[in-house]
Amino acid sequence: MEATTSRPAHVEQSEGSTREDRIMRRVFLSPAIIVLLLLSIFPLLWSLGISFTNIQRGATPDQSAVAATTEGSGAALPGLGFEVTLRNFARMPQDQRLLTAAANTLFYVFAGVIIQYVLGFGLALVLNQEFFARNVVRVIFLMPMMMTPVAAAYSGRMLFDSTLSPLAQLFRTISTVLGLERPIVVPWLTSGTVAPWTIVLIDSWQWTPFVTLILLSGLQAIPDEIYEAARVDGANALQILRKITFPLLLPLSATVILIRGLEIFKIIDVVVVATGGGPGSATESLTMYIFKTALTFGNYSYAAAISFVLLVLVIIFATVFLVIVRRLSPQAGS
Amino acid sequence: MTRRKWWQSALLYAVVIFWCFITLFPFYWLFTTSLKQPLHISRGPKYVPFVDYQPTLEHWQYLFREQGETTIRHFRNSFIAASGSTILAVLIGSMAGYGLSRFRYSWRIPRWKNNDIAFWIISQRFLPPALFVVPFLMLYSALGLVDTHIGLIIVYTMFNIPFAVWIMRDFFNTLPTDLEESALVDGATRWQAFVRIVLPLSAPGLVSVAIFSFVFSWNEFLYALMLTNFQAITMPVLIAAQNNTRGIQWWFISALTLTAVAPVVIVGLLLERFITRGLVAGAIKG
Repeated sequence: MEATTSRPAHVEQSEGSTREDRIMRRVFLSPAIIVLLLLSIFPLLWSLGISFTNIQRGATPDQSAVAATTEGSGAALPGLGFEVTLRNFARMPQDQRLLTAAANTLFYVFAGVIIQYVLGFGLALVLNQEFFARNVVRVIFLMPMMMTPVAAAYSGRMLFDSTLSPLAQLFRTISTVLGLERPIVVPWLTSGTVAPWTIVLIDSWQWTPFVTLILLSGLQAIPDEIYEAARVDGANALQILRKITFPLLLPLSATVILIRGLEIFKIIDVVVVATGGGPGSATESLTMYIFKTALTFGNYSYAAAISFVLLVLVIIFATVFLVIVRRLSPQAGS
Repeated sequence: MTRRKWWQSALLYAVVIFWCFITLFPFYWLFTTSLKQPLHISRGPKYVPFVDYQPTLEHWQYLFREQGETTIRHFRNSFIAASGSTILAVLIGSMAGYGLSRFRYSWRIPRWKNNDIAFWIISQRFLPPALFVVPFLMLYSALGLVDTHIGLIIVYTMFNIPFAVWIMRDFFNTLPTDLEESALVDGATRWQAFVRIVLPLSAPGLVSVAIFSFVFSWNEFLYALMLTNFQAITMPVLIAAQNNTRGIQWWFISALTLTAVAPVVIVGLLLERFITRGLVAGAIKG
């Protein structure tokens, strides 16, 4: 709409549209719509359907029908070869591994977003200053984002090794300097309480620069006159940050936090490579658990059901976040 | 602008240098580790080649000679999947972006106009890919697409289209329409105007979209892991697999990892301008 109303010439063109344009209009948009309907909407609905069945990998329709009738609960539909059931959803509250995976995912999202936003904002303020070789630094900032997450996780695995890494050596040196009897060994990847943090650190190493670059573009769009006027009025640096910079960046901050949050919900590669989900399943994410349920255990219907739990969490996150942002930002309200 | 005091400058440089160090150190570590002998790793960290230890090219030779065929095959898999889906996403995405920018749509079911359609398309990008794991597994094994290049290209195209549409629509909205209109008046068809006039003018937007699609597909892990098992395995999956089977053979995996990372990081460094622009456009309008 905005595109056409802002250009009267177009409105005219598409309304008095020639026959050719009426056809071309469809030709241009259809491929994308067809791809999305076929590969996104259709699988989504299909998956939702599967989540209410007992479909497993490899089990021939007959076998699962037999299993259904022998187990006795749910409705085995003759001819369909599978059972329609709510069992997948009913067993979720008892599935300790699922609860852990959900808690981990939420932890990754919240810890990751907070760390990346705070660091990213600070770095954007720094990069907004004039300094030597600023462009080189901006290019350096892009490097982690380009890196394959698997590769970042692999570097993390080496650098957070609790005996062979420089970090471990640093801790040993500190212990010696402090004269401790037993050197400090941080089990970065092998302890259920520390490893989730390590994963957040690896993700933050990759994506803090993303936050920085976006916020930096916002900072550069703020005209100098605003700062000068504030300074003339006697505002100090902290007041300027709180009363001017931060509120002006609020919409952009909201977007960047939302994007990062939604991206972290998808996390799997970093976890697989850095810790393999371990120790036990202490660092497993929802996506990883879904993957394992479907591929390792072959339980298709349960995997599909869990994936909708993930979707619900994502939707709640996005909605609550947008509501909070709307409340917070004074401009949007009026 | 007030001049900075000396300590403010010092602090500024300290922060910048510290973060650059944090950013670059893993790359340095991957590189130096790939030159180490097993002993240099198991006897605690060694830092500087030639000073701390005698570097060796052995592992690189192993990677590209003994293992050469495998390495290159997986590299090629990644390249085929990434470039195939990039071409498709750029094509389909710019067409839809152009349509949404230049025509007025009003669907009956659902009752959507251009902005609703565009919003629906971009919202697809934020669906967790895990949602599609089961249907794609079943669909792909039924269609025999598991472990094929085509299979990967199809999935990645699907994931790349929303962003491509969004960026291109945005780009076309800023592009003046005079040129294509005069071409239309001169008797060119819509398609000719699009291909001969609009697309060449949109090169910066197309480059942004192409980079993002390529990097996404090159780096993608979940679907590559799920939909390949031998022939079509891509670099990220290969690294993850080696990481499991080779345990502490860090020297070899480091060399492999650098090989996987090099193309995208080099593309990133060369085309930095387009990336920053795409990021910002995506975030501001998104």
